[in-house]
Amino acid sequence: MIQPRRPLIELRQLRRYFGETRAVDDVSFEVHSGEVFGYIGPNGAGKTTSMRILATLDEPTSGDALVDGFSVVEDPDRVRTRLGFMPDYFGTYRNVNVRDYLDFFARSYGLHGRRRLRAIDYVMRFTLLDQLADKPIDGLSKGMKGRLCLGRTMIHDPAVMVLDEPAAGLDPRARIELREMIAQLAANGKAILISSHILTELAEICNKIAILEKGRLLTVGSIAEISAQAEIVCQVHLSLLTGTDRLQRWLENCDGVRDVSVVDTHFSLTHEGGPNEQALLLRQIVEAGFEVVEFSSKTKSLEDIFLHVTEGRVQ
Amino acid sequence: MSPTDPRTGTRDSVSQSYLTASLLALWLTWRKIERQLERIADRANPILVKETRQALKSRQFISTFLLILAACWIASLGGMAIIGPQIYYAAAGSEMLLAYYAILAFPLTIIVPYSAYRSLATEQEENTYELLSITALSPSQIVNGKLGSAMVQMLIYLSAVSPCIAFTLLLRGVEPLTVAVLLLHTVLGSMGLSMLAILAGAVSRVNYSQILVSVGLVLILTWTFGLAMASAATFVYEGYSTLRERSFWIANLAVLTFYFTTFALAYTAATARLSFASANRSTPLRWAMLIQQACFLGWMAALASAEGGASILATVFASGFILGIYWYLMGTLLTGEWPHLSQRVQRTLPQSTLGRMLFTWFNPGAGTGYLFSVANLTAVVAAGLIVLFSIKPSAAARWPVFNESAAYFLVIGWGYVVAFLGLGRLLINITRRFTYLPLAGCFLLHLVLLMMASGLPLAARLMVSRRQFSSTGSVLEITNPFLTLEPYTSSSAAPTNAPLTTIMVLTAALVVLLLNLRSVVRELQHHRIALPERVVEEEAALHPPQIPAPSNPWEHQ
Ligand SMILES: Nc1ncnc2c1ncn2[C@@H]1O[C@H](COP(=O)(O)OP(=O)(O)O)[C@@H](O)[C@H]1O
Ligand SMILES: [Mg+2]
Repeated sequence: MIQPRRPLIELRQLRRYFGETRAVDDVSFEVHSGEVFGYIGPNGAGKTTSMRILATLDEPTSGDALVDGFSVVEDPDRVRTRLGFMPDYFGTYRNVNVRDYLDFFARSYGLHGRRRLRAIDYVMRFTLLDQLADKPIDGLSKGMKGRLCLGRTMIHDPAVMVLDEPAAGLDPRARIELREMIAQLAANGKAILISSHILTELAEICNKIAILEKGRLLTVGSIAEISAQAEIVCQVHLSLLTGTDRLQRWLENCDGVRDVSVVDTHFSLTHEGGPNEQALLLRQIVEAGFEVVEFSSKTKSLEDIFLHVTEGRVQ
Repeated sequence: MSPTDPRTGTRDSVSQSYLTASLLALWLTWRKIERQLERIADRANPILVKETRQALKSRQFISTFLLILAACWIASLGGMAIIGPQIYYAAAGSEMLLAYYAILAFPLTIIVPYSAYRSLATEQEENTYELLSITALSPSQIVNGKLGSAMVQMLIYLSAVSPCIAFTLLLRGVEPLTVAVLLLHTVLGSMGLSMLAILAGAVSRVNYSQILVSVGLVLILTWTFGLAMASAATFVYEGYSTLRERSFWIANLAVLTFYFTTFALAYTAATARLSFASANRSTPLRWAMLIQQACFLGWMAALASAEGGASILATVFASGFILGIYWYLMGTLLTGEWPHLSQRVQRTLPQSTLGRMLFTWFNPGAGTGYLFSVANLTAVVAAGLIVLFSIKPSAAARWPVFNESAAYFLVIGWGYVVAFLGLGRLLINITRRFTYLPLAGCFLLHLVLLMMASGLPLAARLMVSRRQFSSTGSVLEITNPFLTLEPYTSSSAAPTNAPLTTIMVLTAALVVLLLNLRSVVRELQHHRIALPERVVEEEAALHPPQIPAPSNPWEHQ
């Protein structure tokens, strides 16, 4: 019998209500070893709430979350040893330097002797903090603190890492560094759940993304799958020699065309459909006798897809 | 290296190699000790290590330490200047000792416990508590770490002042035993206060309660400091005679028993508070309560048998009174537990019939909590009644009467505790159907119930008429336990309406008990459930089953 691979993270119909607010409402997905899973949604979508449940800091109203097969509700102690959680705040101590900070968490995760020293050294090198070992953590910049928190999260070499908006507030360079680190961690076989309210931030490193809004999962899949699911919407630009008014009337009766705007002889409009539909549109326009000088179209960016997926679902 | 003298070269080289060898041996020993120390530091509680490092870098700690040193200096110089050259023969030691004691007691009773509280509160304010709580540290490790840091601080302060205190031993009027007892009490007191402070820090999670708790704590600590100073003064001046009394040591032992059992209760409560929700947070607490009760009863029994005669009655009465209040208070908290039993707890429930019979009332839950308080108080009252009816009413003429009212007191008191706890629990049940009610809310609900029951009839009486029901203990005010029980506490005969009161209170108690019974029974019906497959799998991987090797010929088949 072939044993199906056990997902490292599994959410099962997870729900968390705060009174009337349904912060997380029936969310299920799986993340496997080596995957980077992007968890995307606008502010207040319920990302932090579900991640806190996964990190055993909160309890679900119903449903369950499993880490490496262990329930976060019933076996939080077993979950904690294999999960690293990086919250959206720093959590620093006064009068502690970088090395002592990492040392403290290494000890707290039960690392002793050489193993602890090696773990600290490895983490400091990995997060490029080795030059700052003796610096008090109060004096670190935001980027450095972010790296330190990532270091703390990985100090016990957890199989699962849950990162809540790690890129928020970082400068572009720090963002690139972070992306490289995360890719490296995934290559080492960890399952990584990473949240953001900006899709493009994650697009390059995520194998899969889930889009969340108002506590509900709108869609789960790879970026290609999601782009295919969302009907493609293009921005089309058109220029004519003459007959502007007539084309405007013609376009308004045309299926799949929205938001027509005209400046002189230049049209810009939103068209739903893929390349085939656009070719058809152009042919129809030409066959209707308009003298087209220019026709260009641009597929919308990931950000637009995100907006497209989430728009209009507001209850 | 000095140039070698050809004549003494050999001797030199011998002594040199001897020196080298002994240095090497010394160095090796040192390395060994160092490695041992390293091993200890490596395995030491992480919080203790971190906080010690932090304290050494913290300006607040260092300045307090320097301040204490300076205070010691000033006290020494000032003392010597005032007392003058006759310091060695005048009996001025007591004054000097008290001055130093004040310098020591201030940090030990105020600063150390308050920093223990702050250190836990700061963790929650700065969000580090959450980071800490998801590490592999257990709640008891967290509490131990905080307690340990408090003790390290205490030791440092102690070492700063102890040379001065040792100096007073050279003066007249100070006995080493007095100093030892004084210091021991102070150190234990400081530890106990730190434990309470940590409990307070663990309990107050939200902002407004934190303010309340920290103000209350400061008040208690300052008050304790005053108390410590006052009792130290009495003790230092009269220590010589007190220390020779047997009753002093016995009382000390009793106080120590109370101290350690309360310490254990606070420790268990703090760890329970820091444990995750599905953990069994109640059973250890219940054991701590049971043990405390047993110790208390043991002392009371010892007291009664040692004194004999009339004091037996007094001890029975006092035990019933104190334990009645004790179980009421504990009951208000125990009935606030969640009736829902997590799967994790259900994995460890007693399994055998005997185990279920003996230990089910230790299971977490509001119903079993009610049962636990009621059962304990019932046992205490039953034992008290047996003692009351078995002692011979011969020693004094008014005894039988007093026996009677003490018995009434125990039974009626029992009825009140059972009824009020049960009613409160029913109210909690109803409230929880509509809204979230935390433990503190349950406690308040019980309190409000008691206040209303005792306050409303009183108010009504005052409004209707002053004369008609002027006698206390009237049946119309039966919902007021204080007024009803008051007449039974004096040594005069029991009130004439005692049987009626007893019947009414007991009926109410039994009705409430019956009303609670359904949900209590439901809680008692939980059975142990199997471990999840994944847990079994991991346990098997972590502890592979060992095939036992035959250790003696009889095991061969
Ligand atoms: N402790 C809480 N009490 C009440 N409501 C909360 C609490 N935590 C989060 N919420 C609510 O839950 C929703 C989801 O919040 P959150 O998970 O923080 O969103 P995100 O991280 O996606 O921005 C929000 O509407 C928020 O107001
Ligand atoms: Mg968030």
